[in-house]
Amino acid sequence: MLIPILHRKRKAAEAAAQALKDDVGGAIELNRRIYGTRLLVRGLLWASVYLLSRGLLELTIPSSAARVAIALLPTPFFIYYLWTWMKGVSEMDELQRRIELEALGFAFPAAVVFLMTIGLLDLAVTLNPDDWSLHHVWLMLPLLYYVGLFRAKRRYE
Amino acid sequence: MKNRLKVLRAERDWSQQDLADKLSVSRQTINAIETEKYDPSLPLAMKMGRLFDLCVEKIFTLDDVQATEPRRHGAKT
Repeated sequence: MLIPILHRKRKAAEAAAQALKDDVGGAIELNRRIYGTRLLVRGLLWASVYLLSRGLLELTIPSSAARVAIALLPTPFFIYYLWTWMKGVSEMDELQRRIELEALGFAFPAAVVFLMTIGLLDLAVTLNPDDWSLHHVWLMLPLLYYVGLFRAKRRYE
Repeated sequence: MKNRLKVLRAERDWSQQDLADKLSVSRQTINAIETEKYDPSLPLAMKMGRLFDLCVEKIFTLDDVQATEPRRHGAKT
C-alpha cells in the first residue's frame, strides 16, 4: 500500500520540478523541499521497519534463520535512506555541502569520544546491558549528527 | 575575507534571492557570503566576477593584505 503512494508522490514531485525547470530559484527551493520530504518519508519507513523488526525479535521465534532474516530486514531500508541522503548532498550547493561536512565533522569525533567513554565505564563498573548495549547506544550516533547539523546551520545563518 | 557583494547587489537593485538565482545557489549562501560567515569557492567567486563584470579582487579582499603579500627578494626582515 505504501509503495504506490510513494511512487505517486515521486511522480508528482518530478512533474513539479519539470514545471519549474526555467525558474532556477524556484527549482533550488523545490529540490530542497523534495529532498527534505524524501528524507523524512524514507527515514520514517526505515524507522517503522526497524521497530517492527525489534518487536518481532522480542517474540519467541525458535528458528535462528528466521531471527537472522528479521534482524536484517531494516538494513535495505536504511541503505535506501542513506542513498537518499547521499544523493541529496550531491545536489546541494557549496554552503549546504559545507554544513553537512561540518555536521559529520562534529558527529564523528563526538561518537568516538562517546563510545570510548562508554567502553571504559563498562570496564570500570560494568554498565547495565539493558541500558547501554548496542541495542540502544547506536541511536546516539544519528542524534550526534543532528546536533552537528544544528550547530553548523546556526553558524551560517 | 571582506567583500563588496552587498553594495554591488544594491547598486543593481537585486534582492539576495535574485542574486542567488543568477548564480544557481541558495539565498542562504548569498546571505552567508555577504555577512562574511562563508568564503565562496573559486568557481563561485569567478561567476560573481563575471556577473558583475569585475575581476574577483574588486569584489573580494583579504582582511590583512600586507600580511600575505609576497616578500621581496632579498628584503630585510
